[in-house]
Amino acid sequence: MEKYINNILAPKLQGDGGWVEFVSLENSELTLLFRGECSKCLILHRCTEWIEQEIKRDLKKIVKVTAVRKKPYFQDV
Amino acid sequence: MAHIKVVRRSMRPEEWTDLRFGWLKRHIYGEKWEIENLLIRDARQVDEMQFEYYSDDYRPLKRGDMYFTPDGTAFIKAEVKIPEELKGKELWFSLKTAAEICVKVNGKYIGGVDPNRERMLLSPYIDVNDTLHFEMMGYNRSKPDDERNPESLSVRGCRQIFEGAYICTINDDVQSLVYDFELLLDIAKSELFNEDYRSFLNKELNNAMNCIDFEGDELTGVKEAKQYIEDVIYSNDTYKGSGDVALVAHSHLDIAYYWRRIHSVQKNLRTVLIQLRLMDRYPEFKYAHTQPYTYETLEKYYPEVFEELKEKVKNGQFEPVGAMYVEPDCNVPNAESLIRQCLYGQKTYEKFFGKRVNNAWLPDVFGNSWILPQILKKSGVDYFVSNKMSTWNDTNRFPHNNFIWRGIDGSDVYACVPPTHFITWNMPSQIQENWEAYIDKDSGGQTLNMFGYGDGGSGCTEEMIELMRRFDKISVMPKCTHTSGAEFLEKNLKDNKNLQVWDGELYLEMHRGTFTTKSNIKRANRRIEEKFRTAEMLCVMRGEDKTEEITELYKKFLVNQFHDILPGSHIHPVYEDAMKDYSEVEKALDEIIGTGSKYFNTLNFNRDALTFVKNKKGTATRYGEKGNWIIPNMKPLSSANLRKTDFSGEWFEVRTNVIETPFYIAKLNSDGSMESLYDKELGREWVKGDFNKLKLYVDCPGNYDAWDILPNYREKQVELEVKSPVKVSESDGESVTFTVILATEKSEWEMNIRFFRRSRGIEVESNVNWNEKHKLAKMEFDCNILTRKAVCDTSAGYIERETHRNTTWQQARFETCHHKWCDMSESGGGIALINDGKYGVGFLDNSMSLSLLRATERPDVTSDIGEHSFCYMIVPHESDAVNAGINKLAIQYNTPLVKSDCQWNMPTFEPLYLQAVKKSEDGTMTVIRLSEQDGKRGKIKLSQKVKLLNMLEDIEGETDTIEYTPFEILTIGV
Repeated sequence: MEKYINNILAPKLQGDGGWVEFVSLENSELTLLFRGECSKCLILHRCTEWIEQEIKRDLKKIVKVTAVRKKPYFQDV
Repeated sequence: MAHIKVVRRSMRPEEWTDLRFGWLKRHIYGEKWEIENLLIRDARQVDEMQFEYYSDDYRPLKRGDMYFTPDGTAFIKAEVKIPEELKGKELWFSLKTAAEICVKVNGKYIGGVDPNRERMLLSPYIDVNDTLHFEMMGYNRSKPDDERNPESLSVRGCRQIFEGAYICTINDDVQSLVYDFELLLDIAKSELFNEDYRSFLNKELNNAMNCIDFEGDELTGVKEAKQYIEDVIYSNDTYKGSGDVALVAHSHLDIAYYWRRIHSVQKNLRTVLIQLRLMDRYPEFKYAHTQPYTYETLEKYYPEVFEELKEKVKNGQFEPVGAMYVEPDCNVPNAESLIRQCLYGQKTYEKFFGKRVNNAWLPDVFGNSWILPQILKKSGVDYFVSNKMSTWNDTNRFPHNNFIWRGIDGSDVYACVPPTHFITWNMPSQIQENWEAYIDKDSGGQTLNMFGYGDGGSGCTEEMIELMRRFDKISVMPKCTHTSGAEFLEKNLKDNKNLQVWDGELYLEMHRGTFTTKSNIKRANRRIEEKFRTAEMLCVMRGEDKTEEITELYKKFLVNQFHDILPGSHIHPVYEDAMKDYSEVEKALDEIIGTGSKYFNTLNFNRDALTFVKNKKGTATRYGEKGNWIIPNMKPLSSANLRKTDFSGEWFEVRTNVIETPFYIAKLNSDGSMESLYDKELGREWVKGDFNKLKLYVDCPGNYDAWDILPNYREKQVELEVKSPVKVSESDGESVTFTVILATEKSEWEMNIRFFRRSRGIEVESNVNWNEKHKLAKMEFDCNILTRKAVCDTSAGYIERETHRNTTWQQARFETCHHKWCDMSESGGGIALINDGKYGVGFLDNSMSLSLLRATERPDVTSDIGEHSFCYMIVPHESDAVNAGINKLAIQYNTPLVKSDCQWNMPTFEPLYLQAVKKSEDGTMTVIRLSEQDGKRGKIKLSQKVKLLNMLEDIEGETDTIEYTPFEILTIGV
């Protein structure tokens, strides 16, 4: 899962100025850290739903993504 | 008595007008017929025209569906039969989206939609069978180009909800009235305009709205409202405005930024397409488009659109501007790179359109080197345009908008630094703001106002042109003239005797971090610039014609000098692309350079500086490779076998942390800094404070993270731990190396300090594992020197910079750009710092601080994290930098010896620097570029006549005596 997030999905989010990092997978709860443009995205939930779909399709696993946002210091208000 | 603030809770008349304006806009579309058989296929772009698909087939796309994926491209298609009720009417295609979509109908590109526009004319593309075959390609943008636009911000995100696609008709009267209101409401809301006129507008716009009946089934009164505006508002000339503004349409297209270079191919297509369609509808519309590189990609991948573009160039509507191949950074590239930007740019325009352009169009670049005017002038460019200094300076107001820019060598170009931003949407308030900010009202003629959306292209909209058609009806607005870029420049600047002169660099008082951010890119840029020189020179000497291959390599390299790539202000994938490009270019150049049995001195002066020559059996180490320090003593442009000198004598002595060499007695602190550097030859101490002292500063410049260093960066420093104190790690007959390891919690910094037996230079090599966030690493040198100026290499001559902070102009320049070296000297001696890939440096009183690494997180959260290796040389010297030959030392330091069995059969052209040797573009001669870098004038007598060329390789004369002036760059043909 970690490799999949870092190697397959992360480059795609980076292409949009975003950033995702694997944090943990406990049972079916996948915790991901979102940085860059993702960290301030108003509709991030759409993206996390897409991630869940991609994981289901590629890894045949059903997960629920918990998003942790880490905003840049200058937007962390 | 308590103060009670009076708050109006009921609706103001202006709000009532706004509300009804919203209602009016709902009636722009007449009939709307939804396309319900759309199919979509998600993909991701992996190269300029290559896509990886998420599925084998298309799937249905319905209104309300989610579409687009992160960094996604979507292909959408539909087969449509025009419904009976729409036949014979002027039909439009409408699709509201946050993505950037190019639309093809029945095999023809008909236009584009993006966050700035949502429809395009369809009727001309309907075939005889009334069928429409739609093919769309869209790239989604999660981050809007312009965060000033709240509408764009509201639709940000990788995944979008499809709002439907429609074939529709437009209520022309409503649309026209909407444009009237857009225009007039902007004035009414802007404090830049006369208050009484705004009151008049608010009253009369309300009256105009009163003509419309919004209550009935059909909207009535639109014509009456329009007539009212004509009769009452447009006819009014009681209120007078002033000013004379030239409106030039353009689109700012960052080749890479928050997107990769591969995406700019389609961004450019969309931008061009949109402008072509506007030209079809508005014959008066003219549009300026920069960057010959973008024309090349259009011609390569979308030839049918390019053919249309060519037609519009012929009729004068589509204007190629900007002689440079891309809009490069104009601080870090060296002189030859900037010349090649012009050469390949102009050649591309010549090839496509049979003409060159006479302007450099660089609206967004982060300041401009003093060497640029000469390069432009000799590349057929008389006019320079760049906006940043007026709109972005953080300390001083740049004192001119239309002026003459004088270069380092005395060359003059006409310059325009427009008073306001290069992205505007042609609103009256923006135009008025431009006029009010315009400094040269009395001397400069018109002011230039650019309009059109960017940064990812997009350009002008129908609305911008419709508003422009109405400007001359508004008495309070400045006189506005829609014109081409070249027309504006020639009309207002050419032969204008009233223009003031700015003699010096065009320093941008912002974005000072871009000299340092993404250290590895900058070092690769330096290294490859040198390799191009060597490769071209060797090809000429070998009689090999590799012009085509080298040109392609050069172009790939020049694209990476784009002003958001080389400066480091981009997302992570752009960095990866750039490093991949550099790797490919460098590998190809290495193959061209090849090898030989002897070493060849590619420099046209004696190679007499101590040089590291790689050798697996060598006794010294540099950058992890074995070799020997050798003084080549090679004549200019000559070959030799080199042997290391076997010196077995005791040439240095170390007593604890004090080292004595033939030149110095140096006392090293445990962290590698020097407490003392006593010069035995010159009998003086060089250190007065922290010297060779690594300092980490907290570097938090805010939103412009990758771009900026703030003036207060010195306020907070981070402690460095001495993990391994300085000690001798290696020595041989030529060099002795002290190694120290410094560390923070996350990073480790190995510093190798090298003293030499036969060189005054002291080299410092850093190998860094860098894992910091928001830090600026600087190497500080407090020198025992009394001076008020520092001298910096520009790559084609030197620039002097004041080291005091007397005025705001010096205060603002706390961080500047230099190339291979900088220097602080008294008349009797000084200290130079020579580097192999660093550009940022600060000066204050007797102190130089070399910027080494940054750690920013926007736009790339991992910027600069990883391994870094770089060197600089501390060179204490007698006299000043010029007389001490620092430039030649620095050139040698940045020019590794190569092995090649070549022979140079031409003069050496000393004392000029042989900047480039290449085959001419037409293949008929050898082109030699010579650069005077010491600020001297003189003559070189040749044994035979040579052709005098400009930088575009046009023959301008013939001579057997080269006469040169300070900092002149000459090009000759042999």
